[in-house]
Amino acid sequence: MRLNIVIGGRAGQGINLVSKIVSSVLTQQGYFTFNYRDYPSIIRGGHNFNVLSISDEKIESHESTIDGIVAMDDLTMEVHKKELKKSGFIIKPDSFLEFGINLNVALAAALMKILGIKKDVLNDEIKQSIKKNVEDALKASDAGYASETTKIQLPAPHPNKIRIISGSEAIAEGAANSHIDAYIAYPMTPSTAVLQILASQQEKLGHIVFQPEGEIAVVNSALAVSFAGARTMIGTSGGGFALMNEGISLQGQSEVPLVVYLVSRPGPATGVPTYTSQGDLNLALRAGHGEFPRVVIAPGTPKEAIEKTNEAFYLSEQHGVLSIILSDKHLAESEFSLVEPINKPTKIQIKRKVPGETIIKATSYEHDDIGNTTEDADIAYKNGLKRLKKYEEIKKSCQKFEMIKIHGKKDSKNLIIGWGSTAGAIKDAIKDLDAKFLQVLYIKPLSSEIKKHIEESSNVLLIENNLTGQLGRLIREKTGISVKKRILKFDARPFHSDILKQQIIKELIS
Amino acid sequence: MKKETIDQHDKKLDTKYQISWCPGCPNFRILEAAKLAITSLINQGYKQTDFAMATGIGCHGKIFDYLNISGFYGLHGRAIPTAIGLKLGNPNLNIIAFAGDGDTYSEGLQHFISAGKHNADIALFVHDNQSFSLTTGQPTPTSEKGFKNKIDIHGEKPTNPINPLMLALSSGITFIARANARDPQQTAKIMEQAIKHKGFAFVEIIQDCVVFNVPINNRDKNMYYLDKTPTTKEEAIKLIQEYDYNIGDGKIALGVFWQEQRPTLEDQFPQLQNIIKNKVQGWKGLKR
Repeated sequence: MRLNIVIGGRAGQGINLVSKIVSSVLTQQGYFTFNYRDYPSIIRGGHNFNVLSISDEKIESHESTIDGIVAMDDLTMEVHKKELKKSGFIIKPDSFLEFGINLNVALAAALMKILGIKKDVLNDEIKQSIKKNVEDALKASDAGYASETTKIQLPAPHPNKIRIISGSEAIAEGAANSHIDAYIAYPMTPSTAVLQILASQQEKLGHIVFQPEGEIAVVNSALAVSFAGARTMIGTSGGGFALMNEGISLQGQSEVPLVVYLVSRPGPATGVPTYTSQGDLNLALRAGHGEFPRVVIAPGTPKEAIEKTNEAFYLSEQHGVLSIILSDKHLAESEFSLVEPINKPTKIQIKRKVPGETIIKATSYEHDDIGNTTEDADIAYKNGLKRLKKYEEIKKSCQKFEMIKIHGKKDSKNLIIGWGSTAGAIKDAIKDLDAKFLQVLYIKPLSSEIKKHIEESSNVLLIENNLTGQLGRLIREKTGISVKKRILKFDARPFHSDILKQQIIKELIS
Repeated sequence: MKKETIDQHDKKLDTKYQISWCPGCPNFRILEAAKLAITSLINQGYKQTDFAMATGIGCHGKIFDYLNISGFYGLHGRAIPTAIGLKLGNPNLNIIAFAGDGDTYSEGLQHFISAGKHNADIALFVHDNQSFSLTTGQPTPTSEKGFKNKIDIHGEKPTNPINPLMLALSSGITFIARANARDPQQTAKIMEQAIKHKGFAFVEIIQDCVVFNVPINNRDKNMYYLDKTPTTKEEAIKLIQEYDYNIGDGKIALGVFWQEQRPTLEDQFPQLQNIIKNKVQGWKGLKR
């Protein structure tokens, strides 16, 4: 069973509350939900919509054909009517306008009735979600609920213990699990959510959150905080990360541990700021002048985001290396149903000496063993070799973590390769297909297993949410193998799993 | 991690590094003043290991290799955010930022202006020789009008210099002073006051450049020390503006022009108070 419901309206009308109420009630009963959020860069007005996907099985994507529309305005009906199935329903706002700001509650209640959810379950959720003037909200809920009849009989759910979590919340949780001491960031969509989540938790958890005057100040102050002994993470999107480049290079020279949360959106430049893209993989791999090691990890789900953030902290502290956690808007802002347990985090211990304990120096110059500036050819040469050797040690350390993941039919000769937020749509698309999906989690270092999987397969297909197939190019660089078949999406929107399924059948299976 | 400890150099503030400033450069005197100030503070009970410096890139930055305290030799223009980071990493450290005029007033100007707002408890010493000297003499924002260089049309800077102290005052910086590199004894006293000031302390150090900005050299005859710190901004502005950073006969006031108390950046975080109260080694020493 799979339903996709569009919930749309103007920015400021509260469509997210509808998604929240509905997904909260459904997941408590054991159904899985996935909520895709689509919004322009507008504070009030425009057209925002969510696609709330519902199933009795695990899902991590949304689809293109719609079973129902919850419309908070006429524009929503206009825009999404063509996606609606013939049997689909529309919940219109007209008869609930008297409820004012509780219009969203009335519409959520109408949807709950259509899905056959009991009224007391709904009302309990409303009391949980709405703290102010809950009586007014309940009146709206009553009216909405009474306006519809049950049209869809949901199958009996499995008894799942499900948590709704966004990619941003998962990154913040991974940082908290690592006992982060300092998070430093400057606001930039879609990285800002982590800044706000960690800021709201700072007194409770004990870390500090600092927003300085810009990204250049972010990276420079973060390296100094870390040098002084704090477990430190910074967060930004492509443009902000580009500003930080000289500081990223400073990490390479000073070898001060630093974790970067880089969450991409479509560029170039300001691009399409509130939408999604995997266009910044090359930036993550190459940013910063000079030659120095780094780690680039790309989680594809909230569980991976929690766990890989901890690994990023571990590797960074263990090796004095730059760890980049590469995400995108689609992973950051979509709301997933998390059901699997989270691996126990590795404890991040600061064993290095810090200022105050002794006299110790970090520097942007090439330097000798005690941090003195040098222009000596022998030392420059040795330090170069040291950086190479360090990367070999990092590669070894990464072996103990899951660097790739295989999904689907493990013995299939049809191989799909992808990374990051596309994992959800790919996994859902291949559920009944003869296909194996290799999800790349560690992009730098890249697992040597990838080559074996390619060589064992008859057909190989690359799927990326970008224009040029950046992972494909990296695989060619590292393995000499060029993956010719590609599905690339670069319209600033994520994949729909139903459309992707048809594309995969066409490219890979037929 | 590189950077083994260097406390095997014993407790001296000197290092064994060979100094590479030009002969006669007033940076030698600024180093001397810094050592006098830190020594005086150590004699008052401060620990040498509790000092840490942040430096930018330029002639001034070489002080990093000559001063035996902890520190981060940062990027050009970024001494201030680096210093703020050190303080947030361990608020028990006494943080000194050494920076140049190109660093502070050109590449890193946004950090200087924002420093007044943050008011982190750090001391910034700007070695202002009114020239990008390590890159062979290009104009900086404080270079005098007519400054001879190879960039500006007709080889002379066409515009007036900025007055960094005015900028500091309007940016809300809570301690503003000017010192003379050629007078290390008095400069040390101002530095000591700046380090002790709870909040962001800015000391502009007037400095000759013996190679790339000779016309501004030897301004001692125009200099005098303030008797007391002004109590109103109007008075401070009047004294700050006596010197416009051009070459002339105007008086150059030295000393502390402005001091006020405001909550510091560290004060705003209850999370940092345990580190401060229990005098632990920053986050590393904190049981979490």
